[in-house]
Formats: sequence, structure tokens, C-alpha cells
Amino acid sequence: MTPLENEITALKKELISMWILVQSQLNKAKDAMVQFDKDLAREVLIKEKRVNAFELKIDRDCENIFALYCPVAVDLRFLLAALKINTNLERIGDIAAGIALYIVESSVNFDVKALESTSLIRMYDEAVNILIDTRTAFEKEDTVLARSIFKRDDVLDAINENAPLVVAEVIKADMNSIPEALYILSVIRKLERVGDQSKNIAEEIIFYVEAKILKHLESSQKHIEGEED
Amino acid sequence: MEHTVVSASKFNAWFGDNHVVKDVTIGIEKNQVIAVMGPSGCGKTTFLRCINRMHELIPGATAKGSLKLYDDEVYTMNPIYVRYKIGMVFQRPNPFPNLSIYDNVVAGYKLNGLKMAKADMDVIVEKSLTSAALWKEVKDSLHKKGTFLSGGQQQRLCIARAIAMEPEVILFDEPTSALDPISTSSVEQLFHELKENYTLIIVTHNMQQAARVSDKTAFFYMGELVEFDDTKQMFTAPTDVRTQNYITGRFS
Amino acid sequence: MDARIGIRNTKSMLFKGLIVFLAFLITIPLIIVLLYIIKQGVTQVNWHFLTHVPAPVGEAGGGISNALIGSFIMVIMSSIIAIPVGMFAGIYLSENPHTKLAYYSGLCVDILQGVPSIVVGIVVYFWIVKPLGTFSALSGSIALSIMMLPIVIRSTEQTLRLLPPSLKEAALSLGVPYHRVIMKVIVPCGFAGILSGIMLSVARIIGETAPLLFTAFGNPYLSTSITKPMESLPHLIFTYATSPYDEWHNLAWGASFILLMFVLVLNIFTKLITRKWNIQL
Repeated sequence: MTPLENEITALKKELISMWILVQSQLNKAKDAMVQFDKDLAREVLIKEKRVNAFELKIDRDCENIFALYCPVAVDLRFLLAALKINTNLERIGDIAAGIALYIVESSVNFDVKALESTSLIRMYDEAVNILIDTRTAFEKEDTVLARSIFKRDDVLDAINENAPLVVAEVIKADMNSIPEALYILSVIRKLERVGDQSKNIAEEIIFYVEAKILKHLESSQKHIEGEED
Repeated sequence: MEHTVVSASKFNAWFGDNHVVKDVTIGIEKNQVIAVMGPSGCGKTTFLRCINRMHELIPGATAKGSLKLYDDEVYTMNPIYVRYKIGMVFQRPNPFPNLSIYDNVVAGYKLNGLKMAKADMDVIVEKSLTSAALWKEVKDSLHKKGTFLSGGQQQRLCIARAIAMEPEVILFDEPTSALDPISTSSVEQLFHELKENYTLIIVTHNMQQAARVSDKTAFFYMGELVEFDDTKQMFTAPTDVRTQNYITGRFS
Repeated sequence: MDARIGIRNTKSMLFKGLIVFLAFLITIPLIIVLLYIIKQGVTQVNWHFLTHVPAPVGEAGGGISNALIGSFIMVIMSSIIAIPVGMFAGIYLSENPHTKLAYYSGLCVDILQGVPSIVVGIVVYFWIVKPLGTFSALSGSIALSIMMLPIVIRSTEQTLRLLPPSLKEAALSLGVPYHRVIMKVIVPCGFAGILSGIMLSVARIIGETAPLLFTAFGNPYLSTSITKPMESLPHLIFTYATSPYDEWHNLAWGASFILLMFVLVLNIFTKLITRKWNIQL
């Protein structure tokens, strides 16, 4: 392993840790929403600072690697992708914090029936799953999985498109639920953003990995293994 | 392909039994900077030296295949004529230590015994030194020995010496590997200016240099030309895994 | 620990002292010889001494002009023979170090260098003096040029071999033909080294007596004909120093002094040339 490879492996680990943190932020925000647990929501808000810290650290690491190692080809693409993925993850972190903030500010519990009818929970689970799968695709450099993200984002988009009508129904049914219905609409809008961010990330993964599919992979791979021993 | 200056097809070169350049096919266009890179012993310098027939000066060195300067086969031309047309700058600056700066620039004429009026010679000296970005620094000391200059200046003097012959192509064999970073950057800047009038082929071990100065990059490995493409393509998404391993430093 | 370091320091100092002492010691014989010859010889030297032939026994005065001119002519002639041959052989050896011819001729040069000068004299005697039937300055010059050759060849070869190959490449890459590369670049760049080799070889042959005994033989009269026997400084010293007459002894001392000065000046001159003309690579 060259020093550059070590740096890149470390950066990748760092990015994955950040990813896991963001995932858990999203999950916690969801739990806080479903159980109307304001303490949990506050925890999410506090942990948002850690997500930001991660972002800064990864930015700085990328900067150092660029300056010190002058990466090219696959390394260059990885670092460019890492920079953008980093930004996207931070945004997702912001979204989780935003959702948590609604919980903290909201005075009433979200109505379970309203959550059902707007398929918010289903959407939430799907968004989290998409994020997890993007992470898997990143870890395994799996472009097939990364490509599947584009399709799955469509589900989120569909729910998002229907949301105004569905929320209107909820409001019509009970005029008192206007504040919570508007919160629900906002959460749906935010979750749609999570889908978009994941899609961006998937694009970055493909950008970084695709050029690895090289025409002489088979023959020369053997050759390089031969050189190492 | 009227813009192709140097072209090789199925070109091979040997040192004794050692097959160092294998079936190289390449077309180099006019007024471009071509970087040639690859690990040590990959045949890149040998290929370069074949282009102006310096290769054959080493005992036991042979070459086979087609290598053309425009439409003329280099290996059927008179080597002396080939070397007029294809200049060369070496790894270490090698001005003639017994000659002044002035005489170094026109060494190609003087050493060949070509007679020339003093005025014409003055013009050539000034023009060549200006092209080599050295005129301002040395115009007051033209009759000092060339070896009094700094390393970077000496290398530019060698470039001026090559330019003075008005060649079509200038070959550079690791031209900055013996220079400090400031001299290196002055020589690199020169490449950009020189490509207006000449075609430059540069062998370099410094990948960043290849990336900075060249329009196209050729990657040699084990005597083969593995990849020849636009430098930008080569350094962002090379198509051959051997190129990638080399430029990212993953070659053990 | 401290004591040991003290001992080691002392040892080191002693060793240094020993080296300095021995280096100084070897200069003592040289100084003694120089002083003695100067003391004996300097009083003999005057204009008369330099411009007259040796006087017959019993007469006062007399000089060494015949030997001075003889030595001069023979050194010039042997240089004319040995320098071109030696230089070209040296160029060949440095340019083609790996050929068979270079190996064998290099070997010959080494052997030639080791051949005792008297043997060279005998060989030239049988080759040239006998067939021609007379001792001559020409045969003496040939014997001396054979003595010169190995030094000129080796110094040329070594000087040129030190020149970086990049110099030759630079010239060749400008389309300069090979013979011009050698004559216009390689030889001028190595000129100081070649010249110092020539100077040293001259300094060596000017003091040679043995090859001249059977070739140039010696001549008590002034002669400039190269087909006749000719006097030389070392031979004059040899004959006059072994004679029973004091006047002749004095003549020999004077000649020794002149010879010594000549060699000394030549050596110093060589040193200066190599320093001044040495080309910075």
C-alpha cells in the first residue's frame, strides 16, 4: 500500500462513519416523530454538530491529500466524489435536524391516522433504505446497486407529488389538524430532498468507479499480482 | 494526415538480444507537446533516441520497422541530415565546455564547418537565445564560457543550441531531472512557447510535469506503447489499467 | 569510560602525528638532492657555459652547448613521432574500450611502459643503427619516442575517458560527423590533460641516458645533423662525471643543474597548465 492508498482508505472509513451517523440521525428523527419524543428530537439537534464536524474534517482531509499527493486518475476521481458526497451527507444531516426541529417546536402529537394516509412512514423507511443502499454501493463500489437508486427515488417523488392532495384531505377531515398537517407536508418535502441527495451520491459513486472497468482488466490484473510477489 | 510530423508503425528496437521497443505504432502531430512516460527501462528513452537515430550509436543497438519524418523514412535518410531536422536536448545540460555561450548556440554550424557571415550568425544567436528565454540574461556575456551559467540557464542554452538548427522536431530526454524547481518551471514555460513553432517530444519521469506541459501523453510499459491519448483523458480516466496503476503510483 | 576516550584520543593524535612526520620525511631526500646539485652546479652556469662546447682536457672553461642543442633537437623529433601516434592510439582506446584490439593494444602499452630503457636502446640499435651503419640523432629520437609513447597514450586515454559521454552525444545530436566530434569537441575538451601527459613524457625522456648510449651515442662537438651522432645532456653528464678530471666533473655538475631546472620548470608548468586550462564540465 502506498501512502496515498492509506490516506484514501482512511478517508473512505471516515466517510462511512459519517454516513452511519447521518443514518442514525434520520432514524432517530423518525422515532422522535412517531413516538413524539421531544428529548430524542433534542438529541438529534445536538448531534447535528457532530455531523458538521465530520464534514469539516473530511473537507480538510481531502484538501491535504490534494495538496500533498497530487492524486490522478482513479484517486483523483475518488477524492472529487468524496468531496461532493461529503456535502450531500451534510445536507441529509441538516434535513434530519430540520425534522427533529419540527418535533421540538410542534405542540401536538402527529396523528397516527394522518401519518398512515399520507404514507409518510412508508416514505421515511424508503428514504432511509435508499441511504443505506447507497452506502453499501459506495463501500462495495457496486455501480449496479448505485444505478438502482435512481429508480427507487421515483417512489419518493410520487409520494411527494401526491402529498398536497393527501394533506388537503387530512385538513378537510379535521380543521384542527392544520398545523400538524403542514408539518407532515414539510417532512415529506424534506424526505424528497433526501432522495435527491442520495441520487447525487449515487452519481458520484458511478463517476468514481466506472473508469475502473478497464479494457485490459483481466490480463493485466494477473500481471500486477505477479509483480507484487 | 498531413499534420503528422513523426509517425512510427510496427517499430522495434533492440540492444543486442534485448528487445526494448516492441511494435510501437504512433502518429505525432505538428506543433504539439507529447509527453512520453513509463517506468525505468520501459523503452521510452530508446524510442526517443531512435527518432533522431542516436540509438544506433550504441554498440549492438539495432532497429526495425517504419519510422517517418513527414513522408520520408528516417532509417533510409542520412543520419546527419536526420539530426539536423530532429534536435535533441539531454537529461543533464551539456553545453560544450570549451566554447563560449555564443559559439555554443551556433555550435551546430561551427562544428559542422558550415561557413556563415558574422552578421547572419549574430541574428541566429539572438533569435535562438530569445526563443529559449535566455537572451536577456546572457546578452552582455555572450563570450563567456557556457559552463559559467546556472544549471537551468545551461539547459536553456542547450535548447537554444537545438533551436538554432531550425529543426522540425525537438526531442527532450528528461530535460529537467537535473534542475531545481525554479529552473524546471522556466523550462516548462518554455515548452508552451516553443510549441508554436516546433513539435516537442518529452520523455519525463515526472508525471506532474507530463500533466502540466503536454497535449498528449504516451505511456510505455515493457517496451510496448500501452496508451496514447490526450493528457487530460490520461490523467482523469485512463483506459488501460496499467496506465492507471502507473500514474497513481500503484506499480510496486 | 572517560579514561578510555582519553586513550583513544591520544592514539588518534599519535597516528596523525606519525602520518605528518612520514610525509615530511619523504621530502628530505628530495631537498638534499636539490640543494646539493644547486650548490655544486649553480656556480658553473654562466653564459660561456651555455654557449660553448666542452673544452679538451687541461683547458679551462668549456660549456655544454652541444648537449643542450642535441637534447633539444632529439626531444622535438621524438615528440613529432610520438605525439600524433600516441594521441590517436589514446583516442582509439578511450572510444572503443571493449574491443579486442583495444584490449591487446592496451596490454602492449602497459608492457611497453615496463620495458627497461636500456632494452629499448638495444632494440633500436639492432633495428636502425646497425642497418644504417652509424650512430645517429634519428635513432636516438626513435628510442626516446618509444619511451614517450605509453605515457602519451595512457594520459590521452584517461583524460578522454573522464569526459562525460553526454558531450559526444551533444555534438552528434547536432548532426556533427564523428571525425569532427573527435577533433573539434573531444580533443579540445581534454586538451589540458593531453598536454600535461605530453609534458610529463618530455620531462621523463629528457633525463634518459640508457637508450641513447647505443643510438645517439654522443659527440664532443656541436652537431645539428640528425644522421650523425649527437650529444645529449644526460649522456654528457654520464661521460664527464665518470672521467678522472675535475674540470669535467664541474661540467657534469653544471649540466645536472641545467637538466634538473628544466625538469622542475616543466613539471611546475604542467601543474599550472592543468589548473589554468582545465575545462569546467
